[in-house]
Amino acid sequence: MLPLSLRIRGLHHQYDENKVLHDVNIDIVRGEIVGLVGPSGCGKSTLLKSILGTLTPTSGAVETFEPGSSDGQRVTGPGRDRGIVYQRYALFPNLTALDNVAIGPKLDETSYPFRVFNFPAWRKLRAQHRERSAALLKKVGLGDALDKYPHELSGGMQQRVAIAQALVMKPAILLLDEPFGALDEATREGLQGMLLSLYEDNCAARRAGEAPPYTILIVTHELNEAIYVGDRVIGLSQYWDWSGDGFDGPPGATVIYDRAAPVYRPNAPKEYEQFMAQREQIRGAVFEPKVSPKRGQHVDFWEAVAAEPHGIFACDV
Amino acid sequence: MVRAPLASRWVWLLGGISVLVLLLGYSWISHGQQLENPNDTTIPSLAAMLDGLQRAALDEDWLWVDTKATGYRLGVGLLISVVGSVLIGVLMSSLSALEALLLPPLTLAAKVVPTAALAVFFALVGTGTELYITMIVFGISPALTLSIYLAAKAIPVELIDKAYTLGASHMEVIWGVVFPAVVPQIIDAIRLAVGPAMVYLIAAELYLGDEGYGYRIRLLSRRLEMDVVYPYIMLLAGFGFGIDVLLTGLRKQLCPWYVEG
Amino acid sequence: MTIRSTALFALALVACDGGDAPSSTPATDAKPAAEKPKVTPVFSLAWSEYPSWSTFGVAHELGLIHKKKGEMGEIEKKWGVDIELKEADYDTCISMYGSGQVDAAALTNMDSLPIAVTKTTVGILPTSTSFGADALITTKSVTELAQLKGKPVRGLESSVSQYTFERNLELAGLDAKEFTFTNADPGAAAMAMQQKQDGFEAIVVWNPFVMATLNKRDDVHVLADSKAIPGEIIDMVVMSQSSLDKPGADAFAHAVIDTFYTISDRIENEKTRDETLIKLGEKFAKLDVESMKTIVDQTKFYKTPEEALALFGSDELKKVMDTVVAFEMGHGMLKAKPEIGYGKKGGAPTAAFRFDGSYIEAVKSKK
Repeated sequence: MLPLSLRIRGLHHQYDENKVLHDVNIDIVRGEIVGLVGPSGCGKSTLLKSILGTLTPTSGAVETFEPGSSDGQRVTGPGRDRGIVYQRYALFPNLTALDNVAIGPKLDETSYPFRVFNFPAWRKLRAQHRERSAALLKKVGLGDALDKYPHELSGGMQQRVAIAQALVMKPAILLLDEPFGALDEATREGLQGMLLSLYEDNCAARRAGEAPPYTILIVTHELNEAIYVGDRVIGLSQYWDWSGDGFDGPPGATVIYDRAAPVYRPNAPKEYEQFMAQREQIRGAVFEPKVSPKRGQHVDFWEAVAAEPHGIFACDV
Repeated sequence: MVRAPLASRWVWLLGGISVLVLLLGYSWISHGQQLENPNDTTIPSLAAMLDGLQRAALDEDWLWVDTKATGYRLGVGLLISVVGSVLIGVLMSSLSALEALLLPPLTLAAKVVPTAALAVFFALVGTGTELYITMIVFGISPALTLSIYLAAKAIPVELIDKAYTLGASHMEVIWGVVFPAVVPQIIDAIRLAVGPAMVYLIAAELYLGDEGYGYRIRLLSRRLEMDVVYPYIMLLAGFGFGIDVLLTGLRKQLCPWYVEG
Repeated sequence: MTIRSTALFALALVACDGGDAPSSTPATDAKPAAEKPKVTPVFSLAWSEYPSWSTFGVAHELGLIHKKKGEMGEIEKKWGVDIELKEADYDTCISMYGSGQVDAAALTNMDSLPIAVTKTTVGILPTSTSFGADALITTKSVTELAQLKGKPVRGLESSVSQYTFERNLELAGLDAKEFTFTNADPGAAAMAMQQKQDGFEAIVVWNPFVMATLNKRDDVHVLADSKAIPGEIIDMVVMSQSSLDKPGADAFAHAVIDTFYTISDRIENEKTRDETLIKLGEKFAKLDVESMKTIVDQTKFYKTPEEALALFGSDELKKVMDTVVAFEMGHGMLKAKPEIGYGKKGGAPTAAFRFDGSYIEAVKSKK
């Protein structure tokens, strides 16, 4: 069993009488890129907030794992082990791109007294932070925009900075909440390609025997995007067959679909036929109100990957 | 066509023309008054006002004494207000308990007319410099605090959550993330507060001062020496304008990232 | 044309008919076209709350003068003049008069002089003189004026308060330069002293602040007041020469004077005294009858035309004005030394300020 980065067990949530999430169980292995899809109202944002820690679920637990550790840390609030990139309001408007990325290490590793009273040491540390941040920004393709303010950057560039800002913290998992929804097609594709290149780095690390650096959960509306970018797609839905399980009313959304998705190389042409079939499968299972699959019907990721290693599981081969 | 742009030389020209019209219009009214009564001083000519200013500045020491007195009161009053309002406004926006506690009294206090409450302050703090500073602080701090509070609250919660994921402590979120992002709004709110601050200060000086612009204006108005009073009023307007320019410049320096509107 | 004139005639009928008593018919209401309405001259008087000036407020209450333009009370109708009464605080009255917004104002002789330098002013009626109405109030521990040397004495600068203070110093043989008279609004100074605030152990104020302070604190007393200088601070109604030159000005002056004496008579008359004092009190700081009686004593009314004319014609007045002018010149209140005239315009054509009793004469003879 490969090391985990995130574990969700028995997560239920309801707002007053409104049951939103029911018994959500997800394990995410270090180095995966998981696409999370679901119809509106299925509780994707509730689930995301539970992982992020800005919401306490009615019951259940979320745990994260540092690399090399098999002890999970329970999530009680937002922390540096879970990074987030939102669709909008991505960056601090009063900081340049470089400072936006460098502010993470600054906030995490230093305190006011240190910065004020030990200024020489802080200066040195700050230079290191800036170097690290510059390197990361270059990696996401923004080497030339280090000194620009967010209002001077295009939407796509802002999201790249936001991703770098989150990744510089080396979180156990990076959460992307519909990050490319406000962008045009071409920009979106560029950013998707950037995520795929991160995945390549994951595989390279695995092959070298190191922990893959980037674990990503991307929540998206776009089925194409989930299949293209992710090596695994999880579908959350309230449209499932809960009759006969002893519920009085709709118990809420749960994981209805959990299967591997093909791994693409960045810049490789998208073969639409390849994922058309999977698209239709997901749509039917997850999005169609009239179709109510049984709970385990499309959930067979672990069995499949045990039988035939795929994606990150197949890297050390 | 609505909002069709105008070449900048026309903007300057038209602005200049309207100021000129104002000056000429005033001179005409003044001239008319002089014809009716050559000794009249209630609408002095521009030349007479210049003489008056000279008298206040050079013959007497009025101008220097008054500027020092009024200036000190305004400066200290503004300083205390700004520091207090920033502290409370930013903290209010971040701590829900503080917000619930302070929002009702601040909203009410912002509606109290300080000039009407002058007698109350007078009873509480006497008639020295403390009175003027109290008038200013009480007059502008509630509204200033509320402006800053609202600006800080307008920061998207996403940025605050994000700051926590970047390892920020609570203090760092408040002072390292929220506060720097609202500095331009703080400066703009201060700019708006300077006018009322001057109004309250001058009102108090009119009533109780023994030096300062308000005092001098009242004293000389009783003697109908408008050739000094009007220049004084214009100087006050000039100072207000000057402070505004300084603050705008400060904002541009400190917040190069800020885009208005 | 026929249609138009018919329509106009119909309109005129409707206008005549609207709101009339049911008994009148259109025929009796048709007016002859040639009658022109008479133009009643309009004049304005600014007054502030003060015992002898609040009489004008009472005049409105009693229906003698209606304070609004366009409405006429008894005395306005008697003299054929429409008077507008404007109540404001004292400083505002000064600026209203100085800028020509009103024809006449209730001012003291002291405050009229600076204005008179630029705007020829005529005193047409003396209403009262301060006889204790302006007072220096100190804590009882201060028993002599000399004890106040170097201590702050608070009152309105360049006003009757400062005048009262310095004249009292003069009479006691003291030099005003050794004393610090510091500006403060009389109302504020009185309040501060009542609250026992620092720096307000000696104030010079006028009524009603004098009475209010004495009532509110047991440990203060009047150390000096205008009783020492009777007839020096004269409360008056003054009018600008330019307004006097307008048609109907005489009627206005007469009406104002007539009003004052009418009310003064009512105060003197046993039967109407209390009622009038109550009304006066309402217009003056809401004081009760007993307080008003004291006030009226301290603000010695010039109750009859005879008293007023005696004042205007006296030699003492000339001496008083010399003292007042000297005081004001010494304090830089006057741009130039004003010439003071006594009598009608012809007798003192270049006087900046004139005491003219001819209007009082006219009212007296008509009575």
